[in-house]
Amino acid sequence: MRRPLLAASVLAVTLAASSADAARTLTEYRYFRALTVDLAGRLPTRAELVAFEKPDFDLEKWIDTQLTSKGYADRIRRTYMDLLRLDVGATFAFRPNATMLRRQTILDPTGKKIHVYYRNGQRRAREATDGAFCFTRAEIGVAFFANGTVDGTLKNVDAAALAANTVSIKPWWLYKDYKSGAAAKDLYGKTFMPADSAWQLAPELLKDGDGVTDTDEIRVCKEEASTAESGTVFWTGRKALPAGSPLPYERLTALPLDDAYANANKGKSVACDHATAITHTTECGCGVGLERCMPSAGNGVENVAFVLPAGTMLGIDRPTSVEKTTQGSWNRQWWAQEAVRYLELIAREDRDFREVLTGKSTVVNGPLAQFYKYQAPATCCGNGWQFGYNKPESLFDPSKLPVLLPHDSANWKVVPDRGPNAAGILTMPVFLTKYGTRRGRAHVLYNVFQCRQFIAEDVKLEPSTEPDLTKRAGCATCHASLEPMSAYFSRVSESDWTFLPKTMFPSDNTTCRNADPKKMSGQCRNFYDPAFTSAAHSYLRGAYASAANADAGPAGLGKQIAESPDFARCVVSNMASSFLGRGLNADDAAMVARLEGTFVDSGFKMRSLVKVLIHESAYKSANNLKSDAWRAAEEK
Amino acid sequence: MKRLTLAAMVMLAACAKDPDRDAAEEAKNNGVPSTPASDLPGHGSLAQDNTTKEGPRLLPAEVYIQAYLDIFGGLSPLAAELASRGKEGSALFDTWRDYLASLGMPDYEKDISRVTQTNAMMLATFERVGIALCDRAAERELDTTPRPALATRTVFGFEPTAAAPTEAEFAERFDVMHRTFIGYPAKLAETPRTARFFELYKSVVAKHTEKGAPASGLTPANAGWAAVCYGLVRHPEFHTY
Repeated sequence: MRRPLLAASVLAVTLAASSADAARTLTEYRYFRALTVDLAGRLPTRAELVAFEKPDFDLEKWIDTQLTSKGYADRIRRTYMDLLRLDVGATFAFRPNATMLRRQTILDPTGKKIHVYYRNGQRRAREATDGAFCFTRAEIGVAFFANGTVDGTLKNVDAAALAANTVSIKPWWLYKDYKSGAAAKDLYGKTFMPADSAWQLAPELLKDGDGVTDTDEIRVCKEEASTAESGTVFWTGRKALPAGSPLPYERLTALPLDDAYANANKGKSVACDHATAITHTTECGCGVGLERCMPSAGNGVENVAFVLPAGTMLGIDRPTSVEKTTQGSWNRQWWAQEAVRYLELIAREDRDFREVLTGKSTVVNGPLAQFYKYQAPATCCGNGWQFGYNKPESLFDPSKLPVLLPHDSANWKVVPDRGPNAAGILTMPVFLTKYGTRRGRAHVLYNVFQCRQFIAEDVKLEPSTEPDLTKRAGCATCHASLEPMSAYFSRVSESDWTFLPKTMFPSDNTTCRNADPKKMSGQCRNFYDPAFTSAAHSYLRGAYASAANADAGPAGLGKQIAESPDFARCVVSNMASSFLGRGLNADDAAMVARLEGTFVDSGFKMRSLVKVLIHESAYKSANNLKSDAWRAAEEK
Repeated sequence: MKRLTLAAMVMLAACAKDPDRDAAEEAKNNGVPSTPASDLPGHGSLAQDNTTKEGPRLLPAEVYIQAYLDIFGGLSPLAAELASRGKEGSALFDTWRDYLASLGMPDYEKDISRVTQTNAMMLATFERVGIALCDRAAERELDTTPRPALATRTVFGFEPTAAAPTEAEFAERFDVMHRTFIGYPAKLAETPRTARFFELYKSVVAKHTEKGAPASGLTPANAGWAAVCYGLVRHPEFHTY
């Protein structure tokens, strides 16, 4: 009588299986557990074990189901993220003046502290505040150094000065319906509750200057509040002050002077969506609801802005911690997520795996759409204006973006085509900033997608003045391959995503040629390499080894690698090594050949490769090869 | 004797191949210039095992944490952290952040690779977070009145016996836990695992019943089951696959 009572007190699923479990061997259980770990990303549940133990359990059907699961997509993504490590740390500072709003705290006419938001470097028609905060020391009692440090004692600002230089705005980060302007009412934390934990404002952005009052609108310098789409090149005719002269208006930073671009383009129209706009116009601001700009709660170099998930290895929606961080971290987080989502998309939809390097599509959410629409162009072009480059030709054509609000962090949409310059992960900001140099970019691709290493032979490096590393003794061993590969990235600025179009930056620039490279102009030196400049040539930096590769751009390199015979074998090697949990050896050659055939014949579909791989005896026995011997030894 | 047998096995494996020839061959394949290890001072007579080491793979840290969360009842990482800390704060469980690197989690931002071999810190972390899991589960599933429904008990999916369990009663309950953590019936284990865990259970219950035993938040019987859980959650077969 005792046994039935016992049975009733133990979880039913276990007992239900007990009559059948004898049919399964330990090896089968371990294989099933390994499959669950690799394909579902977790351990088998009790219910799954019960199902597995039933005589009619269809393992192949179960495998097919798992191969369409999120766990499987995570597994494939994890393998390649481990190889590429696509996340950028705080060492890559991203705080562009063009899109980063800082704020100063001043005293209003009643003596109450208020925040006023502004952009560092904003051009203003009023000379006293041109290129700086929109109030003078005479008006507010203090002036500011370039790093935001305050000098002086605050005094109440005059009501007229406050009204003349600032406006109140309902900004995008506080209002879901910010496009409604003053009529906006869907306020953050009240009626606007962000959909997920990945979209939270730092508490500092939610209180007025008194630290007590809830913020429902902000005060911003009037130039920054402009919604104009274009402006005109601002020219002042200002002359540099003699050395040692005191700065005017009790300023702590010098007044901006007209540069060559202003002199050459005075009064010409400029679009407000790129970096030239903030430095060369007074009309361009942050747009409707300040949507072209990002908030920050301070006047330092970089300030807190958001509360972000940290430790997102289980998914950004399931963080292991959250932390208050800066606007720069906000961008870096979403750049990394784009690569994560893209790799998962390829795995989930079982797309041709070569799309990792060649695909025109991507996946974006609201914050990424905002970045690609406003921030990426606004940080474009740098000194490119010296070549007339002030209307960016992007790696990601903003016109291809879906309609998303900046708050739509949980709403991910597939973009079928980013434009002609796009190439899988190769043109994503996270890749271009993680691997900031042309050679660094080429190197990691050579490692991860061709499974080759640049390893120098045992050579002696002699002193040499040969600038061409494909020819210099010793260096040529690696650089003969590396330089032509890195040339593909000549048209993407280093540590940046600015694309340098061929029309404005020819690989060999006739205007920069110079028999004496030391006499090259500054503007040419910025983009063209003096080491490869002569009366006959002046090569774009990085392009000397192959002008054709430079012109083909990252998309050309993606195509070259994807079409190389190494690609399929390398994918097979990476996946087999990951699933077997060890490096491959000569004994695995036949398996690798089988898997490579499967992968190529399937049209480079990862699902086909994995399905064959998990049926290989090497995989089935990977979890118990030596453990038996160890256990046997232990038992003696 | 066990250790000697094991060492002999390793030596045998090492003698199966010529390590210097293997190194030279590997160098040739990789294009890496190599110095035979036997040329290095003191290495001339040293046996080397250059064979590929095969054996159980370490669970990826993500899967380990997912398993932890599932066994904890399907909580989110942050909720599980809160639950694991309980009223003892960091005395039992610090924060996930403190454990991620120890568990082998890569950090792409800092270019820290995934750890695929166990190490002392990792084992210590498995122990610490595992004990937190077991203690909280014992509190939640065994030490409350009334106990939650059997089907919702993620660790202790059984009713404890009113009196001290017989070995058969223990075995039936232990099997539920063994399947949860290790993934197969305990009777298939290559060692007399059920008997060993029964001894563990009985010794812990006895320790907790002794006169002058330190105060515990759990009854002696529940402390015994918690100890069984500690054993499983720290078992190499839980961490590998």
